[in-house]
Formats: sequence, C-alpha cells, structure tokens
Amino acid sequence: MTRGILIYAHNNRTVDYALMAIISGGLAKKNLQVPVSLITDISTVEWMKESNIFNHATDIFEHIITVDRPATANQRHLNDGQTGQMVPFINTNRNTACDLTPYDRTLLIDSDFFVLSNSLGEYWDIDIDVMLGDAINDIYNDSRTGYLDRHVSDTGVKMYWATTVMFSKNSNAKLFFDTVNYIKENYSQFADVFRFDPRQFRNDIAFSIAKHILDGYRQTDIGSLPPVLSALDKDILHGVNGNTLTFLVDYKFTNSYCAAAISDIDVHIMNKQSVIRHKQALLELI
Amino acid sequence: MDQQLKAALDFSNYQQTFSIQKKVLKERITAKLTYGFNGGLFRIDRNLLTFVDMLCAKGRTSGVVLLDVNENPILVDDLEAFREELFQRYFEVTNEYFDQYQKIKKSRSVEKLISQ
Repeated sequence: MTRGILIYAHNNRTVDYALMAIISGGLAKKNLQVPVSLITDISTVEWMKESNIFNHATDIFEHIITVDRPATANQRHLNDGQTGQMVPFINTNRNTACDLTPYDRTLLIDSDFFVLSNSLGEYWDIDIDVMLGDAINDIYNDSRTGYLDRHVSDTGVKMYWATTVMFSKNSNAKLFFDTVNYIKENYSQFADVFRFDPRQFRNDIAFSIAKHILDGYRQTDIGSLPPVLSALDKDILHGVNGNTLTFLVDYKFTNSYCAAAISDIDVHIMNKQSVIRHKQALLELI
Repeated sequence: MDQQLKAALDFSNYQQTFSIQKKVLKERITAKLTYGFNGGLFRIDRNLLTFVDMLCAKGRTSGVVLLDVNENPILVDDLEAFREELFQRYFEVTNEYFDQYQKIKKSRSVEKLISQ
C-alpha cells in the first residue's frame, strides 16, 4: 500500500502558496518519511520557475500534477498581525483529491500546515476511510475561538477542520469527496439547510457537512485526526531558531502580544505573510 | 509605582508565555502517547497500561481483542510484545515530559521560556 502527502497550491497576486507548499511539503516529507505530491496549475508552475523555486519543488515533490486553475470569486480577509487585506482565495478544488492522488493512503494538508513531528504517522494504518482534523486547537487557549470555529453555524453541525484530511483511495472515500463536490455545487441550498454564511466557500464547512451526511446525519465518534494546533492570522511568526518556531501571540486581539515557542509538534500558521518573511530559515529546516 | 506596575505587567506577560509553553508541551506529549497499532489507535495511559498488564498477569497473552480509542475491536496477537511497546513509549515520553516541564518551570524570564 503506497502512502503519501498531497498539497494544493494555486497562487494569487498576494500570497505565494507555491512557496508555502514547498516549505510545508519539505517538512512533511522529512518528518513523516513519505513522498509528497503537489496539485497546482500552469500559471503557478510558471511563477515557480520565474522566482527560482522550481528546483526546490522538483526536489521535494514526487509528482507535480497540473490541473485547471479553479474559477472562484472567493475573497478572504487575511491578517498579517495588525494589518490585513482582502485577497482572492483559490481553494475550491479539494474535492478532486481522491481522483488525483497517486497514493493508496493520502494525508491531504493545507500549504500553511507545517509537520514538525511524526505524530500523524500513527494514523496511516487506522482502519477508517476518511478522517478529518477534529477541531481547531488555538495555540493560546480556547478563549480566542468561538462557537463558529467549532460549528458550521449558530444552529449547524460540528465543524471539522479540513486542514488535515487522511483518506484511503477506495469507493467510500470517493463517495465522500463526491459529496463534498455536490455540496460545493449547491452551496447556497446547503447554506439554507445548515444555516451558514454562503458568501465565501469554505472547505471546512463542505467537508464537515459531507461527513455529517455520510455518518447518517448525526455526530459520531467514528474517528478523526488530532485537533489542528493553530497560530491565528493575528499572530506573527517571529523567528525560526533551529527546529524551534517562535511566535508573537496576540492573546486578546488587542495588539498586545506575548511570546510563544514550539518545536516537535505540527502547527497550522494562518499568518501566511509571516511565513513568507521567514522562507529562507524555513527552507533550511527541510 | 511605575516600577511596580512595570514589574506586574512583565510578570503578566511571563505568565501568558508560561501557560502557552505548558499547553504546547502537554499537546506534544499527548501526541506522542498516541499509538497506532493493527488498524486501531490507542492512547497510552494508566488505564491501558494497567488493563494490558492485568491481562498478561492472567495469562491472556495471545489473540486478545482490545477496544481502541474509537471503540473499534483490535486484535493483538502477542499481548506481551504489545505491553513492552506501551511501557517503553510511556516511560520514554513521560521522562521527556518531566525533563521539559522542569526546564519550563525553572525558566524565570520570557527569553528563557521560549529558548527551551
């Protein structure tokens, strides 16, 4: 049975997702000791060549799979510590993962999820066809996350985090991803039923509802991946010292920061620009 | 007064970092005490260690079915080997926990806390 990691990266004019995927893929490959493949588009590949990171990409990725760039009107407000801006968010094709993965068992991760330990390696052989990140796990504590970080809406179902998804390439997983696609294509109708805001497509919501439906319209304890330890986008990646990442954590959302450091644990860094600022040090970790 | 306030604010800042470091360490240890075996997932804790040790003491050492964290039945062919693995991981990880926790506890400044 082949195992591997899959990352999607479609650049926009503000965020270099390809570079993030190279860092994320390199760390995952190093710490989980399995191959990594990238799903991207021609213009992102062209950008990688132009910005001289394509050689890193070919070193790290076993396969670079190019697909059509998904058309999307998704916009998202991305913070970089105290500042922020609206950026296009091209992320609507995750439902293709089951068809495109070259592996029998795949760990699908976001390009801003950094594997710094081998703990997800314990999950490869778990006899469950699709597992999602169980919840968000704020690096500070629960006080910064609210009900809508744990549920798709005020009256909706439990929110899983599609930052990490592990699946087997089989008919059950195919059904799951087809359901995600169906929810994506009928997003407004599902928003009426599950009472979430449909203005921006979110994978977390589509994946959570697909899981809810396929689990028999109920919350189950079938099994999931660990909660996703996350530094929010108001937090700032401040430094990379050896294997330790240091953060400034905006613990009250009032621009009052405290320090934190992590090593040997996987982390989701939502402040993408602060990752880019430390690209050299992060690339050296690979 | 200003100095007292500054000292209080510095201490408050230190406490924030201290609690994050403690939390992150605990998360790391929890992850390391998670053990994937034969299609199941086990949390290595006192319950599991005691139960497995008790089964071994009763002579039930082969073909034992255990329920994993998802309540799925998992067949353990050689329970003594399984117990060895559990104990080895448990002591390795809890010793690491102890060492790291002592380092955090003894770090009396933010700089020292984040350099652990």
